[in-house]
Amino acid sequence: MNYLEVFGLPRRLAIDADELQRRFYALSRQHHPDFHQGATAEEQAKALESSALVNAAYRTLRDPIARIEYLLRLEEGRETAEGTTVKPKAPPELLEEMFEIQEALQEATAGGLGAAARATLLAQRERLRQRYQAEERRLCGTLSQAWDNAPAGDRQSVLAALREALATRAYLRTVINDLSVALGEDEGSLVSNRRH
Amino acid sequence: MAYSDKVIDHYNNPRNVGSFPKETPGVGTGLVGAPECGDVMKLQIKVNLDTGVIEDAKFKTFGCGSAIASSSLATEWLKGKTVDEAAKIKNTDIVNELKLPPVKIHCSVLAEDAIKAALTDYKEKSAARVVGAAS
Repeated sequence: MNYLEVFGLPRRLAIDADELQRRFYALSRQHHPDFHQGATAEEQAKALESSALVNAAYRTLRDPIARIEYLLRLEEGRETAEGTTVKPKAPPELLEEMFEIQEALQEATAGGLGAAARATLLAQRERLRQRYQAEERRLCGTLSQAWDNAPAGDRQSVLAALREALATRAYLRTVINDLSVALGEDEGSLVSNRRH
Repeated sequence: MAYSDKVIDHYNNPRNVGSFPKETPGVGTGLVGAPECGDVMKLQIKVNLDTGVIEDAKFKTFGCGSAIASSSLATEWLKGKTVDEAAKIKNTDIVNELKLPPVKIHCSVLAEDAIKAALTDYKEKSAARVVGAAS
């Protein structure tokens, strides 16, 4: 059973948050291990398993971005992040731009960050943050709607657009984070995948 | 996570860091990235137009130690190879040489992608030159 099926939802990206929460509470009560204490060991184990599935499904679906990532995995026929078959590709111009920003950042920090360089980096980060937010709005707005309204023949192109937007968002997040590190700040909220 | 000695060596003393002007005849450029970690890798080859042998290779990578080591190693391997030989370099060769752990295999994949992209760019540019010369 996939996460959408857990809540009896169709494979669409528009999900009413309140409705999702209501169904989550109902299912949580139904499967909660406390209500199955008199049951057999086998039934208890099953309730625990269902409870874990409901929790995981809710965590993923209530976040519109995680929901899109999950949909992509479902559509590619795999439900885990491992074993990626379709590589998300960002537009080539974006890659060029990210490379140039990283190169400039390296040069700026190599010479010790002066006040002017700091101001430049701060302004650049602000512009990148705005683009990052715009990309998230596009993902959760027009692109999600495009998926929900796409006729069967158009679905692959919408999926490609979703993948590209997610890749763009990921690159922007990294470069914003790298700028923050260079500025001596810690970008706690945006860091979900630090390099190691 | 512990890096192998070879990764650390390439990371501390990366070979062939730099770039060629993109439009120089014989130069092929590959720019690739991994959105999951935000790494970007640029790898360039410089092919001798008479012999078809890669006489020089350069790279610049913004990413983790394994990504830097993978691309550094790739440039070492590319030098002296023909374009066809270069196309045979596999990410698994890089994994074996650098003893990359499973979580770092994608770095070697990125290096292989960069090699392929550079070779493709070189071939497209030489084809365009031939067409240009004929017309």
